[in-house]
Amino acid sequence: MEPREAAGKETMGSKKKNLSFLRSRLYMLERRKTDTVVDSSVSGDHSGSLRRSQSDRTEYNQKLQEKMTPQAECSSAETPTPEDEQQVGRMMAKRAKIIRELIQTERDYLTDLELCLREVVQPLRSKQIDRLDVEGLFSNIESVHQISAKLLSLLEEATTDVEPAMQVIGEVFLQIKGPLEDIYKIYCYHHDEAHSVLESYEKEEELKQHLSHCIQSLKNIYMQEGKPNLLDMGSLMIKPIQRVMKYPLLLCELRNSTPPSHPDYRALGEAFTAVKDINVNINELKRRKDLVLKYKKNEEEESLKDKLSKLNIHSISKKSKRVTNHLKILTRGESQVKDNTFNREEKLFRSLEKTVRLCVKNISSCLQHIEEATPFTLQSGAELREISSQDGEKNGTEPQDQVSKPYQDFAARSQRLILNPLSALLSLFPGPQKLIQKRYDKLLDYNSSLPRSAATESDLAKREYEALNAQLVEELQAFNQAAKTILLNCLCSFVTLLRDLMQVALQAYSTVKTVPLPVLGISEIQNRVLEEVHNLTFVKENSATFIERKLSFEKKKPAQVLPEVPHQTDAHRSKLLSTYGAEELYRAKRKCNATQEHDINLLEGELVAVLEQKDPLGSTSRWFVDTGCAKGYVYSSFLKPYNPGKGQKVDADNRFCDDDFENISLFVSCRPAGDRVSISDSSSSLSGSCGKFETNGADADHFQEVDEQIFYAVHAFQARSDHELSLQEYQRVHILRFCDLSGNKEWWLAEAQGQKGYVPANYLGKMTYA
Amino acid sequence: MSWIPFKIGQPKKQIVSKTVERDFEREYGKLQQLEEQTKRLQKDMKKSTDADLAMSKSAVKISQDLLSNPLCEQDQDFLHMVTALDTAMKRMDAFNQEKVNQIQKTVIEPLKKFSSVFPSLNMAVKRREQALQDYGRLQAKVEKYEEKEKTGPVLAKLHQAREELRPVREDFEAKNKQLLDEMPRFYGSRLDYFQPSFESLIRAQVIYYSEMHKIFGDLTQQLDQPGHSDEQRERENETKLSELRALSIVADD
Repeated sequence: MEPREAAGKETMGSKKKNLSFLRSRLYMLERRKTDTVVDSSVSGDHSGSLRRSQSDRTEYNQKLQEKMTPQAECSSAETPTPEDEQQVGRMMAKRAKIIRELIQTERDYLTDLELCLREVVQPLRSKQIDRLDVEGLFSNIESVHQISAKLLSLLEEATTDVEPAMQVIGEVFLQIKGPLEDIYKIYCYHHDEAHSVLESYEKEEELKQHLSHCIQSLKNIYMQEGKPNLLDMGSLMIKPIQRVMKYPLLLCELRNSTPPSHPDYRALGEAFTAVKDINVNINELKRRKDLVLKYKKNEEEESLKDKLSKLNIHSISKKSKRVTNHLKILTRGESQVKDNTFNREEKLFRSLEKTVRLCVKNISSCLQHIEEATPFTLQSGAELREISSQDGEKNGTEPQDQVSKPYQDFAARSQRLILNPLSALLSLFPGPQKLIQKRYDKLLDYNSSLPRSAATESDLAKREYEALNAQLVEELQAFNQAAKTILLNCLCSFVTLLRDLMQVALQAYSTVKTVPLPVLGISEIQNRVLEEVHNLTFVKENSATFIERKLSFEKKKPAQVLPEVPHQTDAHRSKLLSTYGAEELYRAKRKCNATQEHDINLLEGELVAVLEQKDPLGSTSRWFVDTGCAKGYVYSSFLKPYNPGKGQKVDADNRFCDDDFENISLFVSCRPAGDRVSISDSSSSLSGSCGKFETNGADADHFQEVDEQIFYAVHAFQARSDHELSLQEYQRVHILRFCDLSGNKEWWLAEAQGQKGYVPANYLGKMTYA
Repeated sequence: MSWIPFKIGQPKKQIVSKTVERDFEREYGKLQQLEEQTKRLQKDMKKSTDADLAMSKSAVKISQDLLSNPLCEQDQDFLHMVTALDTAMKRMDAFNQEKVNQIQKTVIEPLKKFSSVFPSLNMAVKRREQALQDYGRLQAKVEKYEEKEKTGPVLAKLHQAREELRPVREDFEAKNKQLLDEMPRFYGSRLDYFQPSFESLIRAQVIYYSEMHKIFGDLTQQLDQPGHSDEQRERENETKLSELRALSIVADD
């Protein structure tokens, strides 16, 4: 041993350069160990390794192993026994084998990945089959390929031209563990889904064809290379997972076969831990995901039977415990376990959900209203234009055509940009909500178990709660951010869309030519037109109010309220008297209105001459009469014989009493019968008063009538207009009518000195002849 | 009386010439159509204004709900945005109301007034019809008497009938002429009457839409993310949504 050692030391220098850095590293590594024995063995190692590098490796290995054995045994013996050496040798051999295996398998694995990519993934991707989701099947297999390549190169670098005793595989793994974990995590995460997706594809004939085609080409290649046949797509996809699970095993084996004196030992230990952690993390991720999957299953989908089947002692007790805890929290306040971040995120989550829900509802209702309103507006616009323009005249382009098409664009765009994203977003909310609920349950469990702190139970509850909590916090944050962005986006889109719609409408309406607003306002123009229309006779005659007033029995032209209705005047009366004999003359007892055709109106006291005492139909109750101004029928019951000699019954207050009458008659009888001229003497003496009588007073009989309408003016009256008659005091006047046109009894139509006019009634007094 | 068979048909054809009748029918037909149009227009305008009002009310509701949301408390930017949106919506509502009022005043009410003339027209036509029927009846009677042998009582009756006929005929002629004269005038008056309404409607719409355009243009400037095109927005939404769907906590359909 010693000579060799010495020889080793001599030849150390030549190899110094090569291994200097390595040595220092090794030395550093070894330094960390508190094994003093190691130090001495290091030098021994060096010499041994130096020596070996010049000669056959295997020999060297053996020797090294011999040297290592004392360390492996942790004995203070510096000189390894032959058995130790042997063991070391064996271990080293095994180690080399394992390393070889590691590298070789990695190489194979890499080749497999390459082939997979080349023959399966890329062709499938380039074919772009619709239902075949290449990404879903293989997720980040390219990254896996990359990292594997890197690992391989690192391994190769660590093993080629490097003394086995110096080969540090652990380092390689430690270097690469970060990216390794990330990439494999993703792949494994997606693998489950990928597997189920693959199964679903297998069921479809067409897709299966595609897949088997690719597999076939792959199989062919394998056949050429003489490698074992891979079974199917599934086994191809699972390779990375198998690989990553193999690492810990390999590393463990490697470590076990590495003598502790080997520099690699500790590194390997750490690498092994690291790789194991990777696997644990991947599993943890999967577990979280499974947990989430388990709890986010829609409970409504479970049938009653399912629910019942889930009931058992365990679940019942669990649930009752939870309820108790919940009540405890409610009554006592804060729970022991709090997570403020979570609470904040959860609040945000809830408010977002409410916002999105309301937005969807409101925006869709608003859009619906817009949709409803637009056609009406257009339609009414078109109709109005139709009415207001001549037939065939077109006043500018139709706003209708211009607006309807862009409106459809608006509807489509709003659907795409606003409603679809928002509804999709809304549908994403329930999932997390269920999980939040579950987390709360777990929280309760954890809470309840805390005081007791029974190890396993509390641990389980704690782990579950924390798993869920961590997952939720992390993802709720992401969720809230993304949801808010979407919401803001949609609101902005909404506003933009509205603006565009308004613009379109504006343009459409602006193209219609309009005359500038005329001087007269619209209402004036229209009122003017309307007045003209109303002046049309048919409107006047038939307006609603008028119709109501009339009883529509008459078939003549509707009687209009004419200011002057032809009434019997004195002239008529005198004519009658002169024309007809006394026995034909009758007087109207009262006012009779014309009711049937050819009837005439009679006022009370009017004189009529009966021409026929029957009507065309033969009835004797209707008589054909002549009033001097008109001829027509009146019912005989209205008439009484005209008998000037008799004292006639009076029923109006404008008749004189019998006394006076007799006096007058006496007086009057001396007048000549033919005298008809009115004497317009204005003396107030009684004798003179006779002269004032009107023309129709020649006949004594008739005179009575006249008498009854004679008044005198108590006071003088000055006419203020054409319609009124001036009176002088004590002037006698003859009253034609005891009311004016509108029925006002204050003004009477009087005749004096050949003039007619209205005089106020209270100025007049009855003539009484003493 | 109307069920008596001989009343239907005969008298009309004989007494009133076909051309006259046709003219009358034509004019009256036009007016009836106009009546229909005005009625329908009234209904449509009412529906349109109601729909407009409903729309602006629902728009205000959007912003109101957003404003009352607790999200506003947490995020200032969001609050600003929602307040701006709310202001815009309220202004839209106000302008809409104004527009509706304007339309009400210048279109719907004049429409109603114009429509109120139609009952009178219909009544007048009915009267003319009645007069026509009477005319026909009496004419038939006269002819009946004319056909009989000319004995004394018959002659007397004939004379009587003729006398009766005369005023009726005159009445009918007068009515007919009046209506024939006035119906076209009425029909023509609609042009002058409705043209201002139409223009006012257009004007009101133009004013409203230009205001709205301005309001919403300002709003888009004010909000974050001006100038994003549709596709950009859509893509952004899609990416966000797929991001969300990728989260494990989200239920996948």
